[in-house]
Amino acid sequence: MTNLQMNKSTMAYTLCAIALLALPFGYDNRTILFLITQVFIFGIFAMSYDLLLGFTGIVSFGHAMFFGIGAYSVSIILDRNEPTMFYLVIGAIVAMAIAGLVSFIAGILTLRLKSHFYAMLTLALAGLFLVAAEKWRSLTKGNDGFVLQIPELFRDRTNLYLTCLISLIVLFFLVRRFTQSPLGRILMAIRENEQRVESIGFDIMHYKVIASVVSGVVASFAGVLYILSLRFVDTSVFATEVTLDALLMTIIGGVGTLIGPIIGAGIIEFAHHWLSELSDVHWIFERWIILFGIIYILAVIFFPRGIVGSLMHMWGKKRYKKHNQTKNEQKKVAS
Amino acid sequence: MMTTLLKLEGIETYIDQFHILHDVGFEVPKGEVTVLLGRNGAGKTTTLRTIMGLNPATQGSVTFNGKDITKLPPYKVAKEGIGYVPEDQGIFGDLTVGENMRVAMQKEDDSTHERMEWVLNLFPDLKTFWNKPGGQLSGGQKQMLAIARAYMNESELLLIDEPSKGLAPIVVEKVMESIQEMKEKTTIVLVEQNFLMASRIGDRFYILDDGQTVHQGQMNELEKDESLKKKYLGIA
Amino acid sequence: MDLFFNLAINGLATGMLIFLLASGLTLIFGLMDVLNFAHGGLFAWGAFSGVWVYDLTGSFTIGVLGAIVTGLLLGVLTEWLIIKPVYGNHVQQILITLGFMLVLSEMLKVVFGPNPIAAEPPAGLEGSFQLGDVILIKYRLFIILIGALVYAITFFILKKTRVGLIVRAGVMDKEMVQSLGINIRFVFMLVFMAGSALAALGGILLAPYSGVIYAEMGMEFAILAFIVVVIGGMGSFTGSLFAAILVGLAQAFMAYYVPSLSLAVNMLLMAAVLIFRPQGLFSLKGGA
Ligand SMILES: Nc1ncnc2c1ncn2[C@@H]1O[C@H](COP(=O)(O)OP(=O)(O)OP(=O)(O)O)[C@@H](O)[C@H]1O
Ligand SMILES: [Mg+2]
Repeated sequence: MTNLQMNKSTMAYTLCAIALLALPFGYDNRTILFLITQVFIFGIFAMSYDLLLGFTGIVSFGHAMFFGIGAYSVSIILDRNEPTMFYLVIGAIVAMAIAGLVSFIAGILTLRLKSHFYAMLTLALAGLFLVAAEKWRSLTKGNDGFVLQIPELFRDRTNLYLTCLISLIVLFFLVRRFTQSPLGRILMAIRENEQRVESIGFDIMHYKVIASVVSGVVASFAGVLYILSLRFVDTSVFATEVTLDALLMTIIGGVGTLIGPIIGAGIIEFAHHWLSELSDVHWIFERWIILFGIIYILAVIFFPRGIVGSLMHMWGKKRYKKHNQTKNEQKKVAS
Repeated sequence: MMTTLLKLEGIETYIDQFHILHDVGFEVPKGEVTVLLGRNGAGKTTTLRTIMGLNPATQGSVTFNGKDITKLPPYKVAKEGIGYVPEDQGIFGDLTVGENMRVAMQKEDDSTHERMEWVLNLFPDLKTFWNKPGGQLSGGQKQMLAIARAYMNESELLLIDEPSKGLAPIVVEKVMESIQEMKEKTTIVLVEQNFLMASRIGDRFYILDDGQTVHQGQMNELEKDESLKKKYLGIA
Repeated sequence: MDLFFNLAINGLATGMLIFLLASGLTLIFGLMDVLNFAHGGLFAWGAFSGVWVYDLTGSFTIGVLGAIVTGLLLGVLTEWLIIKPVYGNHVQQILITLGFMLVLSEMLKVVFGPNPIAAEPPAGLEGSFQLGDVILIKYRLFIILIGALVYAITFFILKKTRVGLIVRAGVMDKEMVQSLGINIRFVFMLVFMAGSALAALGGILLAPYSGVIYAEMGMEFAILAFIVVVIGGMGSFTGSLFAAILVGLAQAFMAYYVPSLSLAVNMLLMAAVLIFRPQGLFSLKGGA
């Protein structure tokens, strides 16, 4: 991207951010603000997924595991101690440390093998965590889950909203920096052509594991925020549906675009909301996963670029007619 | 009057994004041995794979027996009557010699059994090791099995990729003798680096260089043309 | 002694059910490099449709046939709608089959209702034999028998018939098989259908064994089957039998002695295989 464009996109992002920051002060529909908070949280979660799938081409089927690790670590620590900021921070650190460790282990075990292995191992690991959460009742209270107290500051919905939004913004720019750094470029080169990068003399494994760890840590942070917003935890945080949500948000929004998954999170969260309201009309809407699953399958086949990816692709084509020279960079972003 | 069995015209082939064949064209007369020559990396293997449909051509045409087979998938090309012996022989290592042969047999009729008998007489070794896993055969035996196997499907044309590769001279001799005998039953396109062998059994040659056919002629003419040999084949 | 036998038979029976699921998975993978994450969905569909037919007709045999037919039909459908469009693209394949898995599970709830469904062994297979002081539960022995039978039949087909030889040759060198005039895509579809039917058979056999079936069982068993496929070597048929029995036994003994670790022990087995022998215990080809 040229500097000019970068400034343009940064400016657009900044404007959006300011609008969103101002929103709770002018608009007080609690349900919708809560929903938007969820969008921020899942935006972070989906972005962490994109870092893996979109920038490295690694398919994880256990992303719910990191989300759940974040959720349970912070819940258990807050539940067993005073619900103060101090313990919240400790909880978040523990969450991210465990998530980092687990993704490190999963990475070194399978990332040197074909992509199936990582998908399979993460799916199995996530299954293991789900069973552990169900069975280890003394720690997790099993399927019933438990309600917990959170620090005073976050009981205020506006504060929570702002915290989630700021986290999203900060993480977005950090992750974007990461993908534009030399390291990020190597990751993208790996996605395009693994052998070539290897033949130049890079240790691919090393970079893939880094991506896997960063992604897991960011995902667990989303889990922490999720618990602050719900003040309740149960085993559903480990469900495959959570992973599917991340996948759906990333694919619909646009793989490898970072902003796409955040937009995808908005679409999916609002769709959840409306569909569950519709379930009073007809029970079929309770089975929204069918609908999402079908949309997801169709998107993978027919719409693999997603919304943002397609827009960028179209934009790239238009620009191609005007300036031949910028075309290549554009295409790289879009594909 | 010679009939042309196989004809390639203006073939261009890509592997992934790499443009490998730029302009390959040649004709294979029925009943002859046509030799493809060229240095390493010239595109000989890719040419054979293009004929088989394993690396389909993006431009140009492949005509076999008067039929356009350019876009056919490999199994249909094979069914048209083309047998392929790849550079690495493609023996199924866990399957016995007999089983390797059986995989290739589309039919179990009389003519197939006749073929089998004929080819086993040509390669008596295969009978001896009938129940041995293909992976345990020697290099020469593998080559024989690969040729015999390719011949099973009423093949009118055999594409054989460097049969002498990695074989001891005495074994090469044997394999070449067999190929010479196969000539009476089928037409052959032979890729061969071993110029001596090529010149002994070849009728006509084409030279590939950098993905293009650059020269053609009768084999006995090439033997005398030192400058040509030096230029494209690196033979002094 | 009694306890040991019971656990061992339990483990063998579970192992055989996992084997039915894993064998299809491994052959499909070996032949076409396709890892079908929806395979567990076919298992669950086999269970539900089979039990439905079983309840309707009162005949377990017809129930089993119903499950197999469901497996074959869903197999064709999956191959045609889900696998074919993304053929050759690993990442898309992986993504799409997981999506299909969830659709299959949810569809179960729509068609058969969201609640677990109970199932009992047919009259002839209820109860147990007394052998000395060992009690052998008939239905478990039946599962082991069926599993062994399926192994023997499939083994025979793979070893002795031309189709079997083609499948094995295809696992070794797909291009060469095509160059010999064989339409590997068609062979693959047959294997895919057979694999789906075996998964469905596993599902219906599980129903009376566990006494109850529920939509999530597809995913639970699929995870065990993946572990088995990794341990046995992706693409190895016999490997999947031994690995399935190993996993089944580990599961049964751990469930009794250290229940909280029963899934973990399988994960550890898989991790060990990934570290020390990533191509699997039985694979002859490089697995990476
Ligand atoms: N899979 C591939 N990807 C990229 N390039 C390839 C691939 N296969 C072959 N090539 C390239 O295509 C060119 C032609 O290769 P080909 O194998 O056809 O040559 P050849 O004439 O058979 O050589 P040799 O005598 O060494 O067998 C070579 O430059 C090779 O590097
Ligand atoms: Mg070659």
